[in-house]
Amino acid sequence: MNAQSSQQQPNDGRHDDDAALTDFLASLMDYTPTIPDELVEHYLAKSGFQCPDVRLTRLVAVATQKFIADVATDALQYCKARQSAVVKDKRDKQQKDKRLILTMEDLSKALQEYGVNVKHQDYFADSPSAGLDPVARDE
Amino acid sequence: MSDGGGKYVVEFLKEKEKEKEYRLDKKKNKASGNDDFAQAIARIAVAQVCESLGYQSFQQSALDALSDVGVRYIRDIGKTAMSCANLANRNECNVFDVIQGLEDLGSVQGFSGASDINHCLSGSGVVRDIIQYVDKAEEFPFAYSFPNFPVVKERKLYPSFAQMGENPPDEHIPGWLPKFPDPETLDLNSRDKKEAELAVEGRIEERHMMVDRSLLNLQQKLICNRLEAGLAYEPGDAAKAQRAVESNPFLAPPLQFEEKEVSLPVLPVKLSYEATRIRQNHAVLENHVSVLEPRAPATEDIRTQLCKSIEDRRKVPLNGRTTVKFKLGSRRKCSSTAMSLRNEGVEKISLWFGVDRDGKDDKKRRAEQILGENMENSQDITSVN
Repeated sequence: MNAQSSQQQPNDGRHDDDAALTDFLASLMDYTPTIPDELVEHYLAKSGFQCPDVRLTRLVAVATQKFIADVATDALQYCKARQSAVVKDKRDKQQKDKRLILTMEDLSKALQEYGVNVKHQDYFADSPSAGLDPVARDE
Repeated sequence: MSDGGGKYVVEFLKEKEKEKEYRLDKKKNKASGNDDFAQAIARIAVAQVCESLGYQSFQQSALDALSDVGVRYIRDIGKTAMSCANLANRNECNVFDVIQGLEDLGSVQGFSGASDINHCLSGSGVVRDIIQYVDKAEEFPFAYSFPNFPVVKERKLYPSFAQMGENPPDEHIPGWLPKFPDPETLDLNSRDKKEAELAVEGRIEERHMMVDRSLLNLQQKLICNRLEAGLAYEPGDAAKAQRAVESNPFLAPPLQFEEKEVSLPVLPVKLSYEATRIRQNHAVLENHVSVLEPRAPATEDIRTQLCKSIEDRRKVPLNGRTTVKFKLGSRRKCSSTAMSLRNEGVEKISLWFGVDRDGKDDKKRRAEQILGENMENSQDITSVN
């Protein structure tokens, strides 16, 4: 696969890519992702991943961070769009709704684009203690 | 009626409480199975990422869902990278496996250059996106310091077939997989098998020896455990030993045709060894002097012979014991000619023996006492012999 691509692509471009990747991996040694290394190592070890290199762990951490940031950014856009729609309707409630809150509604919309179907039913309560009561009452 | 209603309400509340506790317990147990601690840390990390994007607050359920998705993302990358590495006949992942995994996961929403199937992984659009993100995003270290996870960071992999320079035992096993353990480690009960083989072959002498050895070992153990064990050896003990032997499937069959013999190996190994030496020596003597019975010269001879025998025994290495025991087994087969004479002699010798070698430890002396005792009520044994 690599041999074919090297034939197709000019050699300089491939060298540039290699150099860029090497530099990036080297720069990861100094970069501390928000997701801690230990957490990533823990979950990678659970999945059977086997590599002692810290840079790869950091690469996974950065990739995950980027993924979460992408999802959260999309959700933020949904949130802002919803708020602006609300603002149009009711000017007086502007002060209260100004806060940016990560809600399940926005998140499920954002995650849908990434292939994750999160549907949370309307009657689900937010906190676990609140969620227990209606179920217990039903039974 | 109102009272009853009140009671009912109270009971209902109590039941509800109980149910609640039960559910909480259940939840706790479940949570301890799925690592709660790591999930909490993932939640904090995700919350930090969201905060950096401009969020001011969050719903708990939304944060839980997002952190769960993030954790699944990590695990999926790991899984895909690992399968890529295994597909390439490797044990450990490298960068390209991880990039391949990232591309697989990113193929849902797409990335630049994804349409080109033969693109080089080092110049992948996913990597470029990540580089861009790292350059752009601010560096937010994790807010808290926490104890180390119980992750073995530097796992020592078992060497593969290829690394050991061996060929896998079968064609369907690829060479990069870890080597199988040596076959010797697998059959722990090889000795048992050997014994079984011996039994199948029907080598009576060998089996005899084994029975003797096991009984002698048993006897030694008894002596070691309780000091008076050797002295207090009685038919009851013999029966116990008999039962122990019978319970062992490998040792039971050889005993069936001469069960009474088991009472003989009363003696510990050393003692029995000595006894055999003495008896042999005496038997040699008897060949010469049994008819004439000149006691004094006989004892003189015995003395010299015995000294020799002791010296011989010192020369004999410990490994050589088995051959001597084998003699013991074969000796038993010989008929009981001139047994009364022999026993008399042995009794005397043993007495003299006990006096002479007073330098030896108590154990040995006690063993000799046993020998004497054994000889005293040796009528049974002689009959068996």
